[in-house]
Amino acid sequence: MPTAEVPLRILVVEDEMTIAMLVEDMLVELGHQVIDLAMRLPRAAELASTADLDLAILDVNLDGRKSFPVAEILGERGIPFIFATGYGPSGLDPAYQGHPVLTKPFLVEELDAAIAGLGLTGEES
Amino acid sequence: MVAPNHQQGDEPAFPAGGGEAGRLIRNFDWSTTSLGPMSGWPQSLKTMTHMLLLSPVPIVLLWGEDGVMIYNDAYSGFAGSRHPQLLGSKVREGWDEIADFNDNVMKVGLSGGTLAYENQQLTLFRRGKPEQVWMNLDYSPVPDESGKPAGVMAIVVETTQRVLAEQKLRESEERFRALTTATSDIIYRASADWSEMRQLDGRGHLTDIDSPVMAWQDLYLLPEDRAEVEEAIAQAVRDRSVLQYEHRVRQADGATGWVLTRAVPILDEAGEIIEWFGAATDVTDRRRHEEHLRLVVHELNHRVKNNLAMTQAIAAQTFRNVTDLKESQQRFSQRMVALGQANDLLTGERWVGASLIGAIRQSIHPHCPEEHRCGVDGDDIKLSPKTALALTLAMHELATNALKYGAWSDPSGRVTVASSTYKAPDGSGRIRIEWRESDGPPVSPPQRRGFGSTLIERGLAREMGGEVKMDFQPEGLVCIIDAPESLYANS
Repeated sequence: MPTAEVPLRILVVEDEMTIAMLVEDMLVELGHQVIDLAMRLPRAAELASTADLDLAILDVNLDGRKSFPVAEILGERGIPFIFATGYGPSGLDPAYQGHPVLTKPFLVEELDAAIAGLGLTGEES
Repeated sequence: MVAPNHQQGDEPAFPAGGGEAGRLIRNFDWSTTSLGPMSGWPQSLKTMTHMLLLSPVPIVLLWGEDGVMIYNDAYSGFAGSRHPQLLGSKVREGWDEIADFNDNVMKVGLSGGTLAYENQQLTLFRRGKPEQVWMNLDYSPVPDESGKPAGVMAIVVETTQRVLAEQKLRESEERFRALTTATSDIIYRASADWSEMRQLDGRGHLTDIDSPVMAWQDLYLLPEDRAEVEEAIAQAVRDRSVLQYEHRVRQADGATGWVLTRAVPILDEAGEIIEWFGAATDVTDRRRHEEHLRLVVHELNHRVKNNLAMTQAIAAQTFRNVTDLKESQQRFSQRMVALGQANDLLTGERWVGASLIGAIRQSIHPHCPEEHRCGVDGDDIKLSPKTALALTLAMHELATNALKYGAWSDPSGRVTVASSTYKAPDGSGRIRIEWRESDGPPVSPPQRRGFGSTLIERGLAREMGGEVKMDFQPEGLVCIIDAPESLYANS
């Protein structure tokens, strides 16, 4: 399994317990560090505002609430993020059309490629 | 003096001409009638006879008290199969089906009066069967040499065709009116180029128009739709074809609705459009349902993808560090069944949430060996679909573990699940769920954490935003979940 050249500090936002565990395991497998997991919108927004992180994996539907406010906070902080959703690209808010998105279910290789596609070096942190 | 009865080729000279009727009159034996032979006819009668035979208008002369009938070719056409027997007959007998009517005609006419009927309806037998006919009838007295009325002249113009045509048209108009009244559709009329809306009956959906309006587009169309609706209209005008178009409208109440509009061009004889007549059906509800269905399908697709991702996650956990593949496969199948049941629970509640007690019962009941060895009781709360799903999977893991290693693995052990709500020191509501195994075989902590423990300790705790503690006491496993009551429950 590929290992990240530069380990990233990653926030996982995912409301499905089993999927959250899977994504966490995938990220660890890729050599990254999962700094925290948020399963609902308030906690996700809080962590997006305060946590020290390089990247976030964002589920779109958090128990019936859309995670776009979290995306906005991350955007303001200049922190990159990847959407991960069963809706696929068509489920994104028009403001985020074209933004990196993983359609569930996805493979660890796809996750790795999506992260690599962001061109992060980790140097800025 | 010429004899009234004559041989072939010896036809009387009077009356000259008059076609078929003239010939019949010349050859008729008038001595059998009250008129007597023609030689004895007064000049007035002769003159009248001659005159009517030369007329293209259907005329019949009713002479004497009996009203003996003398008529022309135009009249014989009208008389149908009653001709030629009608000639020389008494009018009351000749037209016996309307004897009363003609009795009045004779009385009035012979006393010097006139009668005029327009589109008089009568039932006549002209082709062997009763027939409704309409006629314009004008009766005037005909004086003889003494100056007194000796007969009645009738000008008979049949108007049946016209009356029937008018009747048909009237019925057609009434049907049309009834149709436009009966339909719930919006009805409208627009000018040939649609520059004005002449009339519109909005049926409560749209604003009514009683007199022509030029800026009708502003009244009914949304600015952003205007161009495409006008293009559809322009196309129909160019083709002189039916316009059919579904578009949004500004309703009378100000809301935005949808109509399916159909308009047909009314053409003149040269094929030019005179105006458009249209009907529009309010399809707002249908559009709303379609939109709703689209969302439901979209949502369903999302859930299917999500369930596949969950399946993927459970498979990854189940087959991690496999020592016994057959057992792992079995565990995986059981977990899929649990996932399926959890979905049932949620769809049964229409995905709006499920009850805590219900979720626990449903997930552990299938594994319980005997009814009395399983107790679920306590305070119930409503869970969000997500939380219910997570709890169901966690309870499934606890139940299968109990069956394999714990209280349900021997004949006497019991599992009780108790839930209770309570107030935390800060006043917030919390829920405590206790899974307690007892009377089973002696328990020792497992060598390593399996999927069940991981799911409960790592997953469920975070899912419920609380703490989960698994305590492998020698008497049996105790698992305590302590979480905020309302934080993740759907309100």
